[in-house]
Amino acid sequence: MSGKPLRRTLVASLLLLSSFSPALSQLHAGESAALAKEESGQVDLSAAKALFDSRSACFVDSRSEYAYYTSHIKGAISLSESRFDEQFPDFRQKKSIETLIVVYCVGPSCPKARHVAEKLKKNGYRNVKVFSGGLVEWSHAGFPIEG
Amino acid sequence: MSLFNAKTPMTTISFSSALITALRLLLGAIFILSGGEKLLDLKYFALVIAEYQILPSLFIPAVALLVSLCELLCGTMLLVDLFSQISASVMLSLMAIFIAAMTNNVIRGLEHDCGCFEFLAQWYGLKEEIGIGPIVRDILFFILLLPIALLGSNRIPWKKHKG
Repeated sequence: MSGKPLRRTLVASLLLLSSFSPALSQLHAGESAALAKEESGQVDLSAAKALFDSRSACFVDSRSEYAYYTSHIKGAISLSESRFDEQFPDFRQKKSIETLIVVYCVGPSCPKARHVAEKLKKNGYRNVKVFSGGLVEWSHAGFPIEG
Repeated sequence: MSLFNAKTPMTTISFSSALITALRLLLGAIFILSGGEKLLDLKYFALVIAEYQILPSLFIPAVALLVSLCELLCGTMLLVDLFSQISASVMLSLMAIFIAAMTNNVIRGLEHDCGCFEFLAQWYGLKEEIGIGPIVRDILFFILLLPIALLGSNRIPWKKHKG
């Protein structure tokens, strides 16, 4: 006799849980995407700005030197993909391998930031992140640029 | 008939000299603009030359200065018709170097600013990267410089010439 209500309660709770799960998964989707990004070595605009404000990271511009000369994120250092070998010795002297580095390019479609990040990792830098939004997203947000 | 024959050489001479004068003025003005703007921001031009990845870093600032001065001086000399034949020959050599450098980088698959007419980017937002367009334009400049280099004069305009 007591088995029936228990079964009903179980079925009802299962139904209730299944109806809520898509909503829950949607709620967690943004969070998990950010986590996945973080794990893959990427940072989004808000994370990049937080690092910029706390001055805990060194921003590296992977575009050509002339593009960096025209405009770049305030305080960023030029380490272009095309002339990485020429610029790297000077960078190595300035920044230790423990430094947290955020590499950026012009925008998400530009692969240079990823390439420079890989080269930095090959040269012993462990804390390298890629800000995929790049200079376009940064300047659209009205964050500080110079050049 | 004799009248027509007498006029033909004169018409030819005046046409060719008018053509050379027009080419001198046009190309002179273009080279003054191009060299002048490079001199105004020499560092930017040097960084663009570096992107060509042809010259050693040590020579790049000197080459940037030399190219800018060359364009400005040759442009001025073409405009005032002072040693215009020599000036056109110097610019011909420069055009040949530009064409070779751009073709080389296009073949290598590099993508960067051409460093040609930056005022176009500043005034009209036309960013010019290396490619077929700038190469064809430089070939056109090369062709337009040929008549001045071959038929132009090396006279000094303020000196009186005999005959």
